[in-house]
Amino acid sequence: MSVDLSVEIAGVRLSNPILTASGTCGYGEELAELYDLSHLGGIVTKSITISPREGHPPPRTTETSAGMLNAIGLANVGVDRFITEKLAFLEKFRTVVVVNVAGAKLQEYVDICARLADCPRADMVELNFSCPNVEAGMEIAKSASLAEAAVREIKRVFPRPVIAKLSPNVTDITEIARACEAGGAGALALINTLVGMAVDIESRRPRLTNNTGGLSGPAIKPVALNMVHQVYNTVKIPVIGIGGIVNWQDAVEFFLCGATAVQVGTGLFVEPDAPLKIVRGLKKYLSDKKLNRVTELIGKVRKY
Amino acid sequence: MSKIVIGYSEIIKKTDLGRGNFIMEIAPFSKARNIKPGQFVHIRLPDTNVFFRRAFSIYDYSPEQKTIKIIFKVFGRGTKLLAGLHRGDRLDVLGPLGNGFRLPGRRETVILVAGGIGMPPIYLLAKILTEKGFDQKRLLYFYGGATRDDLVELKKIRQLGVRVYPATEDGSLGFRGLITGALVDVIDSRQGKFRMYACGPEGMLRAVDELAGKMGIPGQLSLEAPMPCGIGICLGCIKPLRVGGYTRICREGPVYEIGEVIL
Ligand SMILES: Cc1cc2nc3c(=O)[nH]c(=O)nc-3n(C[C@H](O)[C@H](O)[C@H](O)COP(=O)(O)OP(=O)(O)OC[C@H]3O[C@@H](n4cnc5c(N)ncnc54)[C@H](O)[C@@H]3O)c2cc1C
Ligand SMILES: Cc1cc2nc3c(=O)[nH]c(=O)nc-3n(C[C@H](O)[C@H](O)[C@H](O)COP(=O)(O)O)c2cc1C
Ligand code: FES
Repeated sequence: MSVDLSVEIAGVRLSNPILTASGTCGYGEELAELYDLSHLGGIVTKSITISPREGHPPPRTTETSAGMLNAIGLANVGVDRFITEKLAFLEKFRTVVVVNVAGAKLQEYVDICARLADCPRADMVELNFSCPNVEAGMEIAKSASLAEAAVREIKRVFPRPVIAKLSPNVTDITEIARACEAGGAGALALINTLVGMAVDIESRRPRLTNNTGGLSGPAIKPVALNMVHQVYNTVKIPVIGIGGIVNWQDAVEFFLCGATAVQVGTGLFVEPDAPLKIVRGLKKYLSDKKLNRVTELIGKVRKY
Repeated sequence: MSKIVIGYSEIIKKTDLGRGNFIMEIAPFSKARNIKPGQFVHIRLPDTNVFFRRAFSIYDYSPEQKTIKIIFKVFGRGTKLLAGLHRGDRLDVLGPLGNGFRLPGRRETVILVAGGIGMPPIYLLAKILTEKGFDQKRLLYFYGGATRDDLVELKKIRQLGVRVYPATEDGSLGFRGLITGALVDVIDSRQGKFRMYACGPEGMLRAVDELAGKMGIPGQLSLEAPMPCGIGICLGCIKPLRVGGYTRICREGPVYEIGEVIL
């Protein structure tokens, strides 16, 4: 029996529900040396900004229990080089390309998305309303009205689906989720990293030059699962689950909590081929459970 | 086909070299044919709570047996766990990663500088050069550590027939003091075209970089940085470049021209 892993997000068909998360797969070039990116349901590229950014000085990553802290600081090549080099490179793969966009103000998001509107290979954009490492994004991330207005503005210039990526560092994520839906988002992706800190007890200094960083990896999975579940019960648009996914069992948990697709982030650093293993594991799980489609799992968690 | 593999290998031999140093032989490693000195492997300790892989330079390899060897020193959680593993235990090995050294010209006198646990890539370079018929008398191998027991595998180095110049801070073997001291003495007493290769702690590399710059000796350094991914996707292992911007040690490195990186 062959199982159907395809899912639809805002009208875009993904051959399977496993994507790579922004900032953890570069622009696909390095992973393409290891395997054919066409095996991925989609690739979400590193956040791009209008101008290139070098990012924060080292050390900008550190290991923590079951995960890591990062303060990369949105290092990226800028939208021009992204379009001419990186997007062009991704042409050859049959996978959905989601371009993650970040900005210092709303206008920057709008300008970048307007440029991407003319690039058909940018199948969707994902708005990084949540990077804890730069000041601006967080403002939008924390305000329902700003988030709604931002999605609405961007929808005006970008003709294809817009995904809003949400931050867990807010009082009520469902409120922001509802606002993004009202603004016209085609889907929601959550969660981005949680603000965290680590200290070197010898030097008594934080382990990151930015002092704080974003916590990711298995350590944040329970938080992400709960938020995905809450948001799934709040909105009608698809939810994309992110946070600590490293194997197929993790992915199944997210589907059961309401995710239509998932993104693998930090897990890629340890197992660059994790998405392929997850696809294989998922197929076997579904056929063992005599299910035909992965979509049959969505939201099927049984509550006590 | 990819030049890099990810896969399970087994520890086929582990030897305790003392002072927390170990040699480990790992197999199978299917890319053992394509290894260049200076390249490294990224090792995951499965079924442990050490999250990231840990990077180790390739010390030696056998294309026929599909084996590789690493030498490591117990430093923190990961290396401590690694040291506690036994023959037959499984490791998840990703590699070979990074760029290797660019080999010297035949007429050059090669100065190899290994500091402590920076020894493995330097040894492999010396071995490859001798195998390629490079005149051993023009391979000057400087090897520094705090004390004589830090200079592991000295016998193997000597077997290459190269000129070995040990240096220890406590004077228990060879030159007393830092390796750069030994270096200056020997270079001053010789003539010709030199090329330098170094790997070791950052302080040593900084000193070598400065010295080579001052003496106008070209060459390469193999650098280290904490490496979450090892393949260039996390942007964690960076160092500033002299021309501005950052470089990823795992991808553009770990081998750089002398003077290229700000140490
Ligand atoms: C290219 C390269 C080649 C190397 N070759 C050798 C070799 O041949 N022999 C040898 O003995 N050593 C080698 N090293 C160093 C070796 O990788 C370290 O000794 C090892 O990572 C220390 O790990 P640990 O778990 O023992 O220490 P830990 O104490 O666990 O790690 C030290 C500190 O660094 C942090 N850390 C560890 N790994 C990472 C990471 N990837 N990213 C961010 N933070 C991290 C930890 O959180 C901790 O704070 C090499 C390193 C590199 C980069
Ligand atoms: C090193 C690193 C860089 C990241 N960069 C970005 C980024 O540029 N844009 C973004 O939206 N999220 C970024 N993220 C967040 C991830 O996409 C993801 O939301 C988060 O890490 C949680 O998932 P995980 O636990 O699977 O890693 C980054 C995460 C890491 C670890
Ligand atoms: S270790 Fe991830 S980019 Fe080098």
